[in-house]
Order: sequence, then C-alpha cells, then structure tokens
Amino acid sequence: MPQTQTKFDAIVIGSGITGGWAAKELTKKGLRTLVLEAGRPIVPEKDYVEHVPSWDMPFRGMRDRKKLLRDQPIQSLCYACEETNAQFFVKDTEHPYSTDPSKPFRWIRGRQVGGRSITWGRQSYRWSDLDFTANLREGIAIDWPIRYADLAPWYDYVEDFIGISGECLGLPQLPDSKFLPPMQLNCVELAVKSSLAKHFGSERVLTIGRTAVLTQAHRGRAACHYCGPCHRGCITLSYFSSVNATLPAAEKTGRLTLRPFSTVHSLIFDSNSRRVTGVRVIDTETRAALEFQAPLFFVCASSLESTRILFNSATPEFSSGLANSSGELGHNLMDHIKGGGATGTIPGYEDHHSFGNRPNIAYTPRFRNVKEKHPGFLRGYGLQAGAGRQGWKRGVANVGFGAEFKRTISLPGPWQFTFSGYGECLPNHSNFVEIDKTIVDAWGIPSLKIHCAFGENEFDLRKDMSLAAAEMLSAAGARSIEPFTDDDPPGFSIHEMGTARMGRDPKTSVLNAWNQSHDIKNLFITDGGCMTSSGCVNPSLTYMALTARACDHAVQLMKRGEL
Amino acid sequence: MDRRQLVKLLALSTALPTMPAELLAAFREIHAGLPTDYALRALSPHQDATVATLADLIIPATDTPGAKDVRVNRFIDRIVADWYSDEDRARFLKGVADVDARTQDLFQKNFVDASSAQQSEILRALGEEMAQVTAALAAAPRGYRGSPPLPKDNFYFMFRQLTLTGYFTSEAGFTLQLHEEIVPGRFDGCVPDASSIQRKGA
Repeated sequence: MPQTQTKFDAIVIGSGITGGWAAKELTKKGLRTLVLEAGRPIVPEKDYVEHVPSWDMPFRGMRDRKKLLRDQPIQSLCYACEETNAQFFVKDTEHPYSTDPSKPFRWIRGRQVGGRSITWGRQSYRWSDLDFTANLREGIAIDWPIRYADLAPWYDYVEDFIGISGECLGLPQLPDSKFLPPMQLNCVELAVKSSLAKHFGSERVLTIGRTAVLTQAHRGRAACHYCGPCHRGCITLSYFSSVNATLPAAEKTGRLTLRPFSTVHSLIFDSNSRRVTGVRVIDTETRAALEFQAPLFFVCASSLESTRILFNSATPEFSSGLANSSGELGHNLMDHIKGGGATGTIPGYEDHHSFGNRPNIAYTPRFRNVKEKHPGFLRGYGLQAGAGRQGWKRGVANVGFGAEFKRTISLPGPWQFTFSGYGECLPNHSNFVEIDKTIVDAWGIPSLKIHCAFGENEFDLRKDMSLAAAEMLSAAGARSIEPFTDDDPPGFSIHEMGTARMGRDPKTSVLNAWNQSHDIKNLFITDGGCMTSSGCVNPSLTYMALTARACDHAVQLMKRGEL
Repeated sequence: MDRRQLVKLLALSTALPTMPAELLAAFREIHAGLPTDYALRALSPHQDATVATLADLIIPATDTPGAKDVRVNRFIDRIVADWYSDEDRARFLKGVADVDARTQDLFQKNFVDASSAQQSEILRALGEEMAQVTAALAAAPRGYRGSPPLPKDNFYFMFRQLTLTGYFTSEAGFTLQLHEEIVPGRFDGCVPDASSIQRKGA
C-alpha cells in the first residue's frame, strides 16, 4: 500500500458543512490538516450556475427528465436538483443503497468539495433547553450529555463567522442568534403577522426566516443580490457554504491540504495503541488505493456516510463496527417529518407587489408543548411560511388566448399564503442502518441497508401541522383554504441524523459530550450522526457549533498529550 | 447594436408600452438571426407549422414579440422529441392531427389554412373540452392534497403548458413581457406601486 510522505496533524473526512468547519478550526489552531473529499473540486467562477437564464437551458427549467430518470431517479425528487445543477447531486447509479420494500427512505447526497453545503436550504436556528432536555423529561432514548449553556458560546462563535440574518424575538424555545439585519416580509406576510398577533398573542408568531444569507457585507463576502436560486451557487459568496467561507479561511492558514477525488473506504485501527492511525482511500478517478496517517481524525462525511465508514472499518475487536462497543452505531436514525400544512388565498393587496427574489421564507416557531402539554403528541414543529402572487402558470389551465389573455396572464395574480411544517422525530432504536453485503458502490465499497419509518407521534404532528395551519390561515382572513398532508418518506427533509449518538454512558452511546468516541480517543464525529434527539428546527447550525466546540476540545486534549 | 445591448435597452425602456416600431423591427431581426438550420426532430414541417400557428394564437405578437417570434415551436419540438414519454408523444401528435381533423370537418381545410376567425373557433372548442375534463377531475374524490389534479392527459392542456413555458422562459418573454431581471440587486418586500405592476404585461 503506498504511503504518503506528508505529515499531517489531523485528517478530516468530508468537506461539507461540518468538514469545512473542522478544516477551518483545526488549521487555525495550528494543525496541518488533510481534508479528504470524495467528489470533484468546485471552482465558483466555473461551477456556479445561478445566473444561467432559462432561455439558455435546453429544457427551460423543466430539467432533462429522461437523463434524470436514468441516472438520478432518487436525487431528482429533491426540489433543489434542477436543470442546471443536477451535478451537485450524486448519480444514484453509482451510489446504490437498499431499504425494506415497505419502508422507503430517500437518501439525498452531494459529493463535491463543499458537499451538500452548496445546495442546502440555509435556514439556521438555535436549539434550546426545551430540546436538550426533552429525552430526559419524557424518558425517551437517552439524555443529551450537554445543555444549551454548553453550546451557546459556540453558536455565538459560528454565527459571527457565518453571518445569519434574522429578527430577535426573545422566545425561550428558539433562542435568538447574533443576527445581521433581517430580510423584509412582504405586504401579505406583514398582514398575516398582525392577524396572528391579534388572534394568538405571543403564542403563534410570524417572523422572517433566519437564514445564512448576508443582508450586508460580512467578513469579505458581499451582500445578497437577490437573484434567488442559491442552491445553484453564488458568485458573490453571499450565502454560507464550505466553498464560500470555511475552506477559503482554512486555505489562508497555509496548513490546509484539500484532496478531492478521495473516496474513503475505512479507518485503520491499531489495537495496541487503541487509536485510529490511518485512513484507506480509493482515488475516485484512478481507483488507486491510498493510505493517509495522522494522530487525529474528524469524521464529517454526513450522518449515514460516516456511519457506513465505521461499519466498513470493523476489526476483530470491533466486529460490529469501529467504535461500536455500545451497539448503538447505525441506530436511532431520525429525519424531520414534513409535508403537513395548508395554503389559502389572501384577498386584497392587488396593488402591492415585491421586488427581487428573496432566498428566504417566513417562519412560525414551535408553539406546541412549549408552555402547555398537548394531549395528542410529544414535541412540536415549526412552520415554514410565505406569501406570493401567482404567476403566468395560472394561465395553463385557463381557456383564454390572444392579446388580452397575454396581457392579463403576465400581470401578477392573487396572493397565496402557505404554511408547511417540519416536525420533530423521536429517536427509535428500531430505525437503523446496516451494511448490505450484497450492494457495493461504483468503487466496490459496501453500501447501506436503511430501515426507517415514521411512528405515530410523527404522523400525529403532521396532522396537527395541517390543522393548525388551516386555523391560522382562517384567522388571517384567507379564502379557499386547502389543508394538505403530503406522504413524504423519511430522508426527504434531508435532515437525517442520530446514527452515532452522543451520551454520557459508553454503554448506550457512541460519542461523549465532546463528539469524541467513547472507545477511541482520537476519533471525533461531528456531523448529524451525533444527534441524540432531532429537535424540530433545521439542524446545520447546531452541527456547526458542535464541530467548532469539538475541535477546540480535541486540540486542547492534543496539547495536553491526552489524545 | 448587439443583441444583449438591445434587450437591455428594451428592458430598461420607460417608453413601454409604446415600443417604437423601429426597435420592435430590430428585435425581430435579431430573432431572425437565431440559427436557421434548426432541424425538426419530432414534428413534420406541417405539424411544426400547425404548432407555431396554434401557439401564436394563444400568445400573439403585440407590442412585444409573440410565441412564433421566440420560436416556441422549436422548444415544443425538443420537448416532444427528448422529454415526453412515448405515450405522451403519441398523445401530443394525435392531438395535433386532431386539430386538422376538426378544421377539416368544420371548414374543409387544414388548420394553418383556416381564417383567424375559424382558428379561434377551433381553439374555443378545445378550451371547452379541456374545461370539462378539469371540472370532472375537480368533482372526483381527491387524494391527500387539497388542490384538484390538472388535466395532464388533455392535448390542449399539454399544448398550453408548453406554449406558456416556452414563451415566458424565452428571453423576450422574461425580459420584455414579464419585466423580470436575473439579478434584481435588492429585495423590497412591499412596493405599493400600481404603475409598476401595470407596466408588467402592458
């Protein structure tokens, strides 16, 4: 096996939202760091496609349907996988996985420098102690080993770098971030906001989404220019991603070695030192087998990929997966349940419109099980929301034609308002992944079989999202209110998490309070795998804060010779 | 003046809706400069002419270009050839043939040769049938989604979908008709400016 000559102090696996943070933190703290990314390099000037106009797209935004059906039948189900940016999602043909026939799971992945941080939704919310203490209070799964106070300074720290725009509300269940100025609500959102205030007081509020998109220049990155489709890239670096922010910062230290096209096969465990000593890599392009060594490992490949690497790193001692003495590796898979909501028409405001494409939504923070216990279910959900005017598409099912039709259909149509929820998913040992020995990816690496289904509590939450949304629209004076409950399978919120959970007890958890393996001291996992419960808010901000905190701890241990 | 400059000028023009005839002529000239060697892939020349005529009736040239000016028929040809399933392609082509059959029945000529009043009559008939299908779908029991399903298998619905998509995603449709911009540069949530709305689609 060829050995590399360069000495590294740390190896980070993955360059997505957490790998980028690990790279930045470790290099800033003086560690020569190798970042291994399975996919190709990304050059913003060449690879970002946000300004490609529809008329330059062969299918005018309708996407290359047949090619997607052939190569990306699962990835193309994701709203963000569009005509110009399907290359930011893996080819399903190269990345097979299996599920129980009756339990579909949509695994949406991106393999390139930056990972899914290029296409992420950017909504950024802090957790609160309502979330961190939920398992303990309800006797579900295990308690988190940390509380809000442990993470709050690290939220401050990462937010200061990222730049998150939003509005302070002072809600205990959704702590405020260090915000840049908020984006504006539009006229109808403002009207709904005041109707909700009238009907629900401070219990159910509407605020602008808290988003990792800059509303003013911040740390060398420009303010948003409101073109709209962030998931295609951003030449002004205005939204946060590894490519736009953390990796350039790591690069500046001179201590970063970024190696794209490096598919990680497994970790090498030395049973004498009880440390991970190296990583087996397959060159994504040449298929050459490589090894890299370092005294410290951060596994940030995404929840399921990191878990898969640990399973594929099994040794005689860790026969059921590396760092899996607890037996919890791969278990407790969670994803937010979404798809409950309602839509309605808001009369009036025909002489008002908005200008520009706001890459953000309005948001109603969680209100269930905050002050009063709900009789029907545990936990809660947040409602993503927004108002917009119908466009020319309303003319398709219309029978009109001719000059007058052309004129009227080009004018903005009625205002519509939609609420759509994201709900907490309870940790459940029987939702799990394992290696499917019959399936390998295009590089010969065994893939996963995913066993995951939502339970009654999640379905009850989704039903309630739809009822509460309809109730709120009614309070706001909406007409033609249409409640809905979509039947999306787990995985589709792309918030999969929990398969290497944190906890105090090595017998029941994979990681300790610092994202460090209970079993192997120089192994840290800081992606969504570490989550002990799911909360109901978009999780990336929490992963980033946990990563920065874990890096700080790891370097302290290293300096004290305790790794 | 090159194409980019012209489109920019037109987009910024406050003289709309009274676009100078000169500019409009220049615009059409530029569009005439689109590749002329486009080879039809799914449609025969006659089907193509029928499609172009139908599309231009739905979105005619006014003080902005119409469907034919922006070559919606080429977009439709591409979709029928490369995007539609075999089933949808057959359904679409049958629908195009049916347009001629209806015109023959009523006026003893092909659609492209009919007078514009006769063509409009055919379009109204197609629209009535589409509306009946839509109403039947709306009356049928609904699934988990509240909104009624769309008449996706109806030829005229398919045709309108492609025509409107092809037109409003064209450079002229997006820029001159909708007054949209790729890079707006700012976001104003609430613009109480009736005139700027009236400008849209004027």
